[in-house]
Amino acid sequence: MFGYGWLVLISPLLGFLSLSCFGKRIPRSIAGYVACATVGLSFFISLILLVHLSVLEPENRVGGVQAMYTWIDSGQFQLDFAILIDPLSVFMFLIVTGVGFFIHVYSLGYMEHDPEFKRFFAYLNLFIFSMCVLVSAADFFFLIVGWALVGLASYLLIGFWRDKPSAVLAARKAFVMNVIGDVGMLIAAFMILETFGSLSYQKVFESAPGMFLANDINVILITLFLLVGAFAKSAQLPLHTWLPDAMEGPTPVSALIHAATMVTAGVYLVARCHTLFELAPFTMYVIATVGIITATFAGTIAMVQTDIKRVIAYSTMSQLGYMFLAVGLGMFSFGMFHLMTHAFFKALLFLGAGSVIHSMNDEQDIRKMGGLAKAMPITYITFLIGSLALAGFPLTSGFFSKEAIIMASYHSAMGNIAFWALAIFTAGMTAFYSFRLFFTVFQGDSRTPDAHPHESPITMTGPLMILAFFALTAGVLGHWVDGFLSPVFGGHAEHYEDGFLETIAVLVGFGGILTAGLLYMVPSDRVAQLREVLAPIHDILFHKYYVDEIYDFLIVKPVKAISVFLEDMGEKKGVDFAVDQVGVQVREVSKYVSIWQSGRIRDYALNMVAGMALVLIFVAFL
Amino acid sequence: MLIDLGWFSFDLFKVTYDGVVLAIGGTAVLAALGVVLCSSPIYSALYLIGHMICLALLFLMYGAEFIAAVQLIVYAGAVMILFLFIIALLGGKKESQSFDFHKFMAFSFIGTVLAELALSTRVGPTQPITGIFDEKMIANVGSAKAIGLELFSKHLIPFELASILLLVAGVGIICLAKFAYKPVRRRSN
Amino acid sequence: MGQEFILLVSATIFCIGAFGFMVRKNPLIMFMSVELMLNSVNFLLIGYSHILKSLDGQVFALMIMAVAAAEVVVGLAIILTIFRTRHDLNVDHLDSLKG
Repeated sequence: MFGYGWLVLISPLLGFLSLSCFGKRIPRSIAGYVACATVGLSFFISLILLVHLSVLEPENRVGGVQAMYTWIDSGQFQLDFAILIDPLSVFMFLIVTGVGFFIHVYSLGYMEHDPEFKRFFAYLNLFIFSMCVLVSAADFFFLIVGWALVGLASYLLIGFWRDKPSAVLAARKAFVMNVIGDVGMLIAAFMILETFGSLSYQKVFESAPGMFLANDINVILITLFLLVGAFAKSAQLPLHTWLPDAMEGPTPVSALIHAATMVTAGVYLVARCHTLFELAPFTMYVIATVGIITATFAGTIAMVQTDIKRVIAYSTMSQLGYMFLAVGLGMFSFGMFHLMTHAFFKALLFLGAGSVIHSMNDEQDIRKMGGLAKAMPITYITFLIGSLALAGFPLTSGFFSKEAIIMASYHSAMGNIAFWALAIFTAGMTAFYSFRLFFTVFQGDSRTPDAHPHESPITMTGPLMILAFFALTAGVLGHWVDGFLSPVFGGHAEHYEDGFLETIAVLVGFGGILTAGLLYMVPSDRVAQLREVLAPIHDILFHKYYVDEIYDFLIVKPVKAISVFLEDMGEKKGVDFAVDQVGVQVREVSKYVSIWQSGRIRDYALNMVAGMALVLIFVAFL
Repeated sequence: MLIDLGWFSFDLFKVTYDGVVLAIGGTAVLAALGVVLCSSPIYSALYLIGHMICLALLFLMYGAEFIAAVQLIVYAGAVMILFLFIIALLGGKKESQSFDFHKFMAFSFIGTVLAELALSTRVGPTQPITGIFDEKMIANVGSAKAIGLELFSKHLIPFELASILLLVAGVGIICLAKFAYKPVRRRSN
Repeated sequence: MGQEFILLVSATIFCIGAFGFMVRKNPLIMFMSVELMLNSVNFLLIGYSHILKSLDGQVFALMIMAVAAAEVVVGLAIILTIFRTRHDLNVDHLDSLKG
């Protein structure tokens, strides 16, 4: 019934293939339009799927598995090329292809002066395809296939500017951490296959509640390994170090992959496997804890960063922590709702940052920016809207989704005061640093008088405006999202009403904005004085708690030493030596054997007679 | 003719016959040893002629008169004369005999082979071919005619092939003798 | 006497011929040893044809003699060709196929 859902996947795949095969021969603009068209088509089909699903009653809104081809069918194990079209996957389709489409249009303008324009769009299409595979896989096998493909696309896009050494290193770092996550996912998949005998979502999720009591060690292990994958992909502690470095890629990449879609794959995974996670409350507790700790951790670092994209990257990490907190508490649809609103305002913020960078001639240090409000009015307004949404200003979409999570952190079954306190604290920090960024970049006078900032072309400002619209208005969709996804999560999430806590949250938000305004709106010495007073703390925060240095010391250096050792001992002296010796020894032996061939008839006659004697022995006696 | 001595009886003819065969066989073996062990080729050739004559006699004792005659005429007569000519042409120097490892190995292998062959005499009776030619019948027809009858009826094809072989050998000899005088062309570098 | 005599004599002469072929360095004597071996086989054939009362043995012996004659002729011509220019009769010196 939903067979046309395959078009969502095939369209960007065809775009990728055609651009990579024929890209050299088609003119630039055509390449750009083709790429945007494929994603636009995917978005259109996703809208049709949405309508198709919405008109069904909630009981029937289960969607279905669309199998194209039976790949493996041996004994009890079966694996098909199949996608699962259900409310959750259609929801993710819409976000991925929708935001993706706007970012494609944006890239037409942003990457215009880049010589590798067509390759960029090929990779972007590849990414959209991979992400769609990930979210629509009908079994764990293709989930991992999509997982790995997305990691590949991320690597290709982060390291897009191949001549920039920092970009190449950052791409490698991101890929290695992704692979760590992949290993965790694979182990989880093996355990699932062993426990359930199948990898298909339907079979696993149907049989899981019957097979295990809560907190069974098997389920806990499976879910913990799945978490390794989720945390690596979504940059939670301790596998988070790749995300700030991933900002070396072009800004549209940061917007699409590292804000709106790829990093949300972890949240999607937990939501998809909610049946398994619900059977392991211990793991849920771990998720919630790690999520909120990451949120706080990232928030503290974001307050002192000076690169415009890094601030937004840490805020992404922080908001992902909120999403994990939500799903960890069992509020799956709230987590997805925050995912949606976050996609809008974070993409908006990144694209706005890209607009700023573009007009400042690739300058990314905010200490050199300022006074852009008059030069770039559209960017200014949309960035303001994005920052308000991020800070959770009342009536923006961010407000509704964040409020729901903060309420749940106190009131839900696993919520407690510690979660709530950290959530509130982080909300305050979020407000503070987002407006610190905003005021530094846009207010006041320009700190570099030489720069001539200009407003960006319509291909870049158009998506900004559309995303700003959604960032403002998507807040009303909260109930609809809950209802739409209810067949997947088996019921509606509880929405807690607590006026007291709501007020505190709003006040904390305002407080953050005010503090930022006091410190940054008007240039003064207050910031410098504060930095002197808090110098040691500032140092630790600026160096991101020295996590990178710790990892380098503990892990990278020993591994490098081991590999150098193995190359010398294992390869050169071991394997190479053995293989060479085979040839050398044959030659040595043949030197001795060739003495036998003397060229003299009598010796050959002797050999013949000896052979004859031997044969006669065999014939006569054996 | 049976002679009876009371405790020991034997057939004189048979005993004589066997004794003569044994003597001639022994002579043949000794002559063979002489061929191999002599230091001068001329003496070896002469021993070989003697050996062939002994064999011809043995053939006679075993009732193959025609073959005995052919042995003497062809083998001892033509082939050995050829040998003697070549020895005269090439010169037969006495070569020095040294007992080296090679000789030792040769001894041991030959000894082994001989032992095995000797053991094989104890194997058992062979599968007899049913034949019709016993001595009396051969004596009736005459040995040459008997062989002729066999040769030109049952074994015609080998006979013809042997004649082709001799032809080929003759042609080969002429070619070798003719071109042996042509100087070998050397390669230019 | 019977069969064992024929077998033993033939085997002995054959082994002596093989021994001579292996041990001697003069090509002519080596050739003569080959003749010894052929003769021993001839003797075996004739002896058995007598015992088995069949003329196949004698016919075969005749063939062998014809072949041996041809072989001797050709072989001696080759020996002549090789050793005419060398003036030393030692097969051990023909080792250019060594190694």
